[in-house]
Amino acid sequence: MHYEAEHTGNFNDMIEIEKLTKRYGQHVAVDHISFKAKQGEIVGLLGPNGAGKTTTMRMLTTFMPPSEGTAKVAGFDIQQDSFEVRKRVGYLPERIPIYPDMTVWGYIAFWAQLRDVKNMKQVDAILDRVQLLDRRKTLLRNLSKGMRQRLGLAQALVHDPPVVILDEPTIGIDPQQVIEVRDAVRQLGEKHTVLFSTHILSEAEQVCDRVVIINRGKIVAQGTPATLRTQLQPGAHLFVQISGASAETILKLLRTIPGVSDAQPNGNGFSVRTGTKQDVRAEISGRVAGAGYALLEMRPVAMTLEDIFLDIVGREATP
Amino acid sequence: MRNENIVITRYQIGLIASIVGATGLILGIVGFLWQGSFTTFIISSLIVGGLGTALWALMTPSEFRAFIQGRQVRQSISSVFAALLLLGIVILAYGLAQRAVISMDMTIDNQYTLSDTTRQILRRVTRPMQITGFYSPRGVAFREIDDQFWRQYEEESGGLITRRYVDPDVEPGLRSQFQVVNEGEVFLSFVNPDGSLDMPSTQIVPRENGQERDMSQTISRMLIAGSVTVYFEVGHGEYDPEDSTQQGLSRINLGIQQSGLITLPLSLPELAASGGRIPDDASALIFARPQTDLSEAEVIVLDDYLQRGGSLFIMADAVFVDNPFLQENGIFSQYLWNNFGLRPLDAIVVDPPMGVRTPVDIQSAAVFTGNPIASRLDSDTAQLQFNIVRPIQINTTPPANTTNGQIILSSDQSFAERNLIAFGQSNTINFDDGQDIRGPFATVAWADNQATGAKLLLTGDADFATNGLVVVGGNSILFTDGLVWLSGFADQLNFGVQFFGSTAPFMFASGQQLDFIAFLTVFLIPGVVLLSGLAIWYRRVRA
Amino acid sequence: MSGTWYIFRREVVQYLTSPLAYTVAFAILVITGFLFVGDLTTALTTRPVNAAVVPSFLAFGMVVFAPILTMRLLAEESREGTLELLLTAPISDTQIVLGKFLGAWFYYTIVLMITFSYQIILLTITRPDLGHAISAYLGIWLYGGATLAVGMIFSALSENQIVAAFLTFATLLLLWFAEYAAQIVGTVELAQIIRQLTLGGHFSSSFGVGIVRLEDIVYYAGIMVVALFIAIRVVESQRWR
Repeated sequence: MHYEAEHTGNFNDMIEIEKLTKRYGQHVAVDHISFKAKQGEIVGLLGPNGAGKTTTMRMLTTFMPPSEGTAKVAGFDIQQDSFEVRKRVGYLPERIPIYPDMTVWGYIAFWAQLRDVKNMKQVDAILDRVQLLDRRKTLLRNLSKGMRQRLGLAQALVHDPPVVILDEPTIGIDPQQVIEVRDAVRQLGEKHTVLFSTHILSEAEQVCDRVVIINRGKIVAQGTPATLRTQLQPGAHLFVQISGASAETILKLLRTIPGVSDAQPNGNGFSVRTGTKQDVRAEISGRVAGAGYALLEMRPVAMTLEDIFLDIVGREATP
Repeated sequence: MRNENIVITRYQIGLIASIVGATGLILGIVGFLWQGSFTTFIISSLIVGGLGTALWALMTPSEFRAFIQGRQVRQSISSVFAALLLLGIVILAYGLAQRAVISMDMTIDNQYTLSDTTRQILRRVTRPMQITGFYSPRGVAFREIDDQFWRQYEEESGGLITRRYVDPDVEPGLRSQFQVVNEGEVFLSFVNPDGSLDMPSTQIVPRENGQERDMSQTISRMLIAGSVTVYFEVGHGEYDPEDSTQQGLSRINLGIQQSGLITLPLSLPELAASGGRIPDDASALIFARPQTDLSEAEVIVLDDYLQRGGSLFIMADAVFVDNPFLQENGIFSQYLWNNFGLRPLDAIVVDPPMGVRTPVDIQSAAVFTGNPIASRLDSDTAQLQFNIVRPIQINTTPPANTTNGQIILSSDQSFAERNLIAFGQSNTINFDDGQDIRGPFATVAWADNQATGAKLLLTGDADFATNGLVVVGGNSILFTDGLVWLSGFADQLNFGVQFFGSTAPFMFASGQQLDFIAFLTVFLIPGVVLLSGLAIWYRRVRA
Repeated sequence: MSGTWYIFRREVVQYLTSPLAYTVAFAILVITGFLFVGDLTTALTTRPVNAAVVPSFLAFGMVVFAPILTMRLLAEESREGTLELLLTAPISDTQIVLGKFLGAWFYYTIVLMITFSYQIILLTITRPDLGHAISAYLGIWLYGGATLAVGMIFSALSENQIVAAFLTFATLLLLWFAEYAAQIVGTVELAQIIRQLTLGGHFSSSFGVGIVRLEDIVYYAGIMVVALFIAIRVVESQRWR
């Protein structure tokens, strides 16, 4: 088939999403979301599990059509010119797709050929880039989880697509590999437009130029990580361990400290939330010492997005 | 493959229920469209379909709702329509292909293509015939194979032969009319000008040697039915054509009758006494070892018949009675010698090299195959076997208008024992110089008269045609082809053997060859495949 | 069509490197080997060898083997998640299904060709009816293609290979067994219609005895076309949700 596809819109916008909606029966998985991604931009899609991240990505990769709305990838409509879109997208699904009985090289070469790569040197090049070239004859069933992740990345990049879509690429791998993958994604931003999903705020913060946060299929917020953090993280979250009195007494004490919105027992210590952005750590240590107790430990807890959402949702629920 | 626990979920029940429901509904609807009425089958299909759909709705209500409302329905319906359209096209193509009846017989001996013999027979069909086959639903596969043949008869005969298939359970009237006993019986009848079947002409097609041979022989039999009559002489103590013992002739008699010929007895002494004559319809008159010689009056009756172009099949034999048949100095012997230049001698052929058990049970040493009677006798499987044979003397300068010749010869080490009394009383055989004669001798000979059309086939032995010996070697061929030649319907009649035989040969192999083949196919080939699999498996676990 | 070719090639390599495929081939070859030698021994000196002994067995054998050969094809792809990548690669659903089907058929063809060597072996001791053999092999080749195409439907329908294999087996068994069921129905017309629907009805009294009929070729080709069309639609239905 030959497509005389027409570029429309601003070529600079590699991804344009316009009121994209997906319904499963009564359930609305993605609800009228719209955003754009420019060339070379790394956009993080942030949201808790079930927020609609994967569904959005599947629509963008033409795996499933939207119920309403449109999207364009590299200027091609995902429904009208789906083949043109597919040629220009590299996709890494959340679960790394594996043919257990293929070799590393054979696997990458297979996807390369399916995507019209003529020069098989590209296969070696991409394997070299993800440091799997020395494993080229290994069967996939014998690869470690981290290696599979890199293999998945290689698969998504072998045809040098302008747009790369990565669904939770850092899930389930060890911390060292997480760092590697994040570095790899950051490097991608030099040549490719990257849309990647995560539910870890700090990851989005580190990697992305821009973050789109969705919950229950709707965009909750979008912007650069710095602005979002200030917008979304109104309070801090501390873990303290105090000895010298009963938990009841200490809880009472903590709750009376100005700026502390809530305190709860948490393991052998306490979770402390602050309602404002002011730093209450000095205040806490002062009060604890003043009361004659010993402050054994105090550290900030990185808030996951889910915590923040719990906050937001909690606030939305009780206005 | 990974093992996984199969957990039956609500979703799976819903899925299965939806499939069952859809199948039931589709079967019901298609069935209704097909038959146009609500039969039990259709109603139960619809009920099953309804129940399945209800169960589906109950088990996975959300999916069911989505199905009713969403894209799935639109897409599914369009897919179902597209699939049905495609199915329609396929069925149409199938129907066209079926109607076109394009088929190719791939067997090396063209088992499913009518042979030239059959084509020749079909060329003589002038009156419409109908093949009536009785097949019940149990026999559809059988009928399909049969029909591949019957269809060719219809085509090859230019529609003169038609076929009709009857389910004996549905039409018991026809079944009793044809006296059908078994499933798959096939009948052949002539068709009257008004389209009705000529029931008296109906013959059952025997199921013996494959569809083509059975049918062609039946057609051949029908074509000559009643038009050829063969008489057995019974007035001189001959072998009995009705006798089914080893000494009887019932086998050849039945064979002739099955070929559509009529066989009747005829008593020459009675005819001679009453001044009658041999009927005009007699295609041949067979003498099967008469004991006593013919009287002059009988020879006159025979002469009258031969003058009209009659044919004689004389199987003489050594008989140890007074006034034996065709004695050398007898009047009939004289007649044959004068008119055909043939006569049997009062002797028996002793042929030690060709003897089977005794030197007088002899096989043929030489065959003159140039003769139509002997053309099929020249093979190892068609060895003739005679029991006590009279040598036949042939006049090499035959009477005017007559030609004669020998067909079967004894070996050059044979001699003719003339002392029949000694032989008859004590089985004594020895060569007496001056009295006995050195061979070889003719044991079967022929003669015909071009002026009158009279034909004579003379054999020095009659035992070869008895039930006991006719099945041996080429004995039946000698009788059959002899009668075919005498009666002059050689181009009409093939009731012999091996006209339609398969040419794929039987197989002969040594035990060693078989062992090697078994090793190759049962061990070596699968073994190599298994080893390759193991090698791949090993490479995988090692890697 | 290059997409079909790449999918086809991957499937063929998959079969050639899969111990399961070798085990199935081994099972088929042992059984056919035994049947062939058995027929040979009984035929010895009494009748010509039956050129269709292996194809006639496979007429039932494929009811069992086709599910094993096809269950993996699409079920595994959807379970391993590779189907998602395939469906987002620039190839059509038709190419995916066609490539996989052709791969399975190719594997079957190879096994069939190995058993055809029996006829060649026979040449050393007799003159086998090669025409009959070719007809029977052509028939069982098409027959096998049809059973594999039916297997594609269920492999596409189910993520679970066992379920896919079972459903394929049940369907093929029905299509096979109906040939015998046709014999107990009331009327000859119905019996014939049922027989024309069955897989065996287009083999046992035509290809199997040495006759190549156009209608049988159209039947098997038709089954393949319709079954593959349905399989393609089922794969496509992943996108309808």
